[in-house]
Amino acid sequence: MASHSQVLVEEKSSVRILTLNRPSQLNALCLDMISRLLQLFLAYEEDPSVKLVILKGQGRAFCAGGDALPLVRDIVQGKWRLAANFVTYQYTLNYVLATYSKPQVSILNGIVMGGGAGLSIHGRFRIATENTVFAMPETALGLFPDVGASYFLSRLPGFFGEYVGLTGARLDGAEMLASGLATHFVPSTRLTALEEDLCKVGTSDPSFVSTILDAYTQHPHLKQKSAYLRQVLDVIDRCFSRRTVEEILSALERETTQEPNDWISTIIGALKKASPSSLKISLRSIREGRLQGVGECLIREYRMACHVFKGEISKDFVEGCRAILIDKDRNPKWEPRRLEDMKDGMVDKYFEKVEEEEGWEDLKLLPRNNLHASAMATPKL
Amino acid sequence: MSEYRGLRRAHILANHILRSPPPSSNLSLTPEVCLQYSPPELNESYGFDIKEMRKLLDGHNLEDRDWLYGLMMQSNLFNRKEIGGKVFVSPDYNQTMEQQRQISMKRILYLLENGVFQGWLTETGPEAELNKFALYEVCGIYDYSLSAKLGVHFLLWGNAVKFFGTKRHHEKWLKDTEDYVVKGCFAMTELGHGTNVRGIETVTTYDPTTEEFVISTPCESAQKYWIGEAANHANHAIVISQLSINGTNQGVHVFIAQIRDQDGNICPNVRIADCGHKIGLNGVDNGRIWFDNLRIPRENLLNSVADVLSDGKYVSSIKDPDQRFGAFLAPLTSGRVTIASSAIYSAKLGLAVAIRYSLSRRAFSVAANGPEVLLLDYPSHQRRLLPLLAKTYAMSFAVNDLKMIYVKRTPETNKAIHVVSSGFKAVLTWHNMRTLQECREAIGGQGLKTENRVGHLKGEYDVQTTFEGDNNVLMQLVSKALFAEYVSCKKRNKPFKGLGLEHMNSPRPVLPTQLTSSTLRCSQFQKNVFCLRERDLLERFTSEVAELQGRGESREFSFLLNHQLSEDLSKAFTEKAILQTVLDAEAKLPPGSVKELLGLVRSMYALISLEEDPSLLRYGHLSRDNVGDVRREVCKLCGELRPHALALVASFGIPDAFLSPIAFNWVEANAWSSL
Repeated sequence: MASHSQVLVEEKSSVRILTLNRPSQLNALCLDMISRLLQLFLAYEEDPSVKLVILKGQGRAFCAGGDALPLVRDIVQGKWRLAANFVTYQYTLNYVLATYSKPQVSILNGIVMGGGAGLSIHGRFRIATENTVFAMPETALGLFPDVGASYFLSRLPGFFGEYVGLTGARLDGAEMLASGLATHFVPSTRLTALEEDLCKVGTSDPSFVSTILDAYTQHPHLKQKSAYLRQVLDVIDRCFSRRTVEEILSALERETTQEPNDWISTIIGALKKASPSSLKISLRSIREGRLQGVGECLIREYRMACHVFKGEISKDFVEGCRAILIDKDRNPKWEPRRLEDMKDGMVDKYFEKVEEEEGWEDLKLLPRNNLHASAMATPKL
Repeated sequence: MSEYRGLRRAHILANHILRSPPPSSNLSLTPEVCLQYSPPELNESYGFDIKEMRKLLDGHNLEDRDWLYGLMMQSNLFNRKEIGGKVFVSPDYNQTMEQQRQISMKRILYLLENGVFQGWLTETGPEAELNKFALYEVCGIYDYSLSAKLGVHFLLWGNAVKFFGTKRHHEKWLKDTEDYVVKGCFAMTELGHGTNVRGIETVTTYDPTTEEFVISTPCESAQKYWIGEAANHANHAIVISQLSINGTNQGVHVFIAQIRDQDGNICPNVRIADCGHKIGLNGVDNGRIWFDNLRIPRENLLNSVADVLSDGKYVSSIKDPDQRFGAFLAPLTSGRVTIASSAIYSAKLGLAVAIRYSLSRRAFSVAANGPEVLLLDYPSHQRRLLPLLAKTYAMSFAVNDLKMIYVKRTPETNKAIHVVSSGFKAVLTWHNMRTLQECREAIGGQGLKTENRVGHLKGEYDVQTTFEGDNNVLMQLVSKALFAEYVSCKKRNKPFKGLGLEHMNSPRPVLPTQLTSSTLRCSQFQKNVFCLRERDLLERFTSEVAELQGRGESREFSFLLNHQLSEDLSKAFTEKAILQTVLDAEAKLPPGSVKELLGLVRSMYALISLEEDPSLLRYGHLSRDNVGDVRREVCKLCGELRPHALALVASFGIPDAFLSPIAFNWVEANAWSSL
């Protein structure tokens, strides 16, 4: 079956290696892949012979995210509930991973975006390499960082999560390690050897896995223009801590007038290009997520996603996908057009139940025994 | 539609796997048989929408509150720690007094830089004030020292300038205060006079030759005492002093004096000493001040009510010194409002921790070899915590109501605000102290660790029963106000209007002799008992005072002798006012689970208040049988609230990081590997 070849399974004694195998689409997740992964992960959790699960991607991507085009097609045809079904399964998988009772290792040797982050960052171990490119690009698509991102972004140091979530900034492996998005950094040439060593694991005690990973890990230097350097981080913290998107923008503009600066201008540019409604709901989502458990985050994100798909307040998701993925003119016409036109009351709507929609319910999460999502690794500053 | 097939497959599989029975446990000595932490969320469910409930409880500015919680959690200044896989923030009380003071100031400057205090003095109107209240409350949940320092600077110093000052003062000081260019304190209390402000001994005279006021501390009992921010940080002070013009005492007036220069050196003619280490609030630098004929410009008299002209002539728009004094103190009500609201947030914190713990900690087995019983499954433990939880809910509505009246205040509502805020401040702060003690005991030994917050909060919040008016004096003030209202209505033969006394215009309610469960839970019955109690006590109090006065005693002396009735009356008034706010909130809700729950909580509040008050039995409103019925119903309500306990504390909206390790995985938090 097609869905099976899109997720390859290798069994190596107590270890299972799952490979996302849709390289022509950068391993973007379709519903079949998600349900297959959910099936496998749930089965492995119950199977006492399985001690460790490794997740990786075929080709130059780990996973470029959820496959947005079918969703947009459904929405345009008036069937947004199908899109909602898709994220129901995606978020369920995210939740299972966040509360997984056995260690998993995600090998992020390439592109990790959106849904790909949801598949990996919730897991216990995340291995970055020199090939890793991480981003949460949703605000440029008229969406918001979902898949539990309001949980893991909000737990990054300071206000780095707001920066990553609002601007869609790309991070490399070194930055992922420094910020705690990755737990280890291993050069890609060493991955085969690492995998072989991991396959010798005969226990689900994460400290054994940790010992193996520690032997391979390196501490790469941050690039000269990295956003994770102290002086840059200070500016990010000063600006992205502000109460509203408008205040964040004006704080950034104040910083550039004091000291003209390329990278601040890039940030401002990214914010000005993004969907105003996306920016506002994303900021609120990350702020609420900071105070919530991963389950609550996913339930809230599900409400938000349904409102985005339903398109009653804004149709930016369809417009963003048109401009970036379909027509590729990279010139989306956002509506509301300006930040100030996106009123608080409109933002509030995204966080409420979808009223007057027959049969609509809040996301029901599977009951889990291990409620505590693994804490984000403490980054080394 | 392969997509649908995929969905169905995964669904069937998930169900199959999740419903299969767990593998049979073997009873050898494996780690599995050791005591494990089981999160309460696994076994407790939410029977109502906790987000809706939180909206009702917090009442306003939820997003702003969450923003501020996040600001504190993400900064290393707030002593962030990871314990048992969770992040916690709370002050490090192992620091010295000096370190605590310095870190409090640094935290304030961090919040300032992030725009938290924007508009706290320069913006007006209900919206701005509610925003300020909300952020102030959140600061107090982190650390009461932090909010007390802010309270001194913004609510005492800042509001004094705003309310007692005129345009010239506003322009000169408000913006600078908001930006912390000026750091203010409020020098009112003296060693010899606290709640009795009119008796203060600091004297200010006027020197027309230089057009200056001269402030002096004539004796040791006149030294300013407990002045927050004075020991280290403040460079300006509001000085409350008697004003003597040509030998005539014009009463209490309000001045601005600079006490430190820009470099922090104490100004000439000012002496400052430290109040020293305290039982709590050591992040606040309380100091003592003596003035040695300190000269300040004539413009530094805050002259909204009275002024001294350059030639030394005293002018005031209010001729009567009593009224003038009242006008001076009226704006300070906001202090009482914030004290009452932060007391309730403190009680919420204590209850959230104690109840979460009681849903994860077991002790003793009921049957031999049976499993140990969860603390909150003991009816006695329910009886200890759940009535306090219901009271906290009720008082939460009360203080929200008070805030709303305050921010929409008019000259007509000033009296009501004064009386109600006095009663609420006293009753709510007492309630908090009692709740914290019960919660500390309910957590057992773990409550002794400052890391777990609850025990330590007792020392931090204790001062609330004293500052901004001693609780006992405030309660007497309530009774006196009710007395005055009663006498004035009777004298003029006018119906009662205001202070919730309108029920006195109707015939006395008659209570049923038999009290069934449904009667006891009926809001009309509850209202009737509370009204009857208030009415009866008010009538007794006024007649006793009148009788003494008839025998030639002064009114004040007659009040003094009737202090027991006065105490009962002010309590009856305040409890009834609280009940009314819950009923009002309930009435606004659409039918549903939130409303139902609130009904249970309200009944618990009403019945526990009746159970705890002997005056109902003493004056024969309830019979011995009735009192027994009330007591039984309280127990029944405990059992009915028990399944909702977790949801009720989750609705407080206090983020996990602000509770404490004992509220979560306390086994892991204390494990050897967590050291």
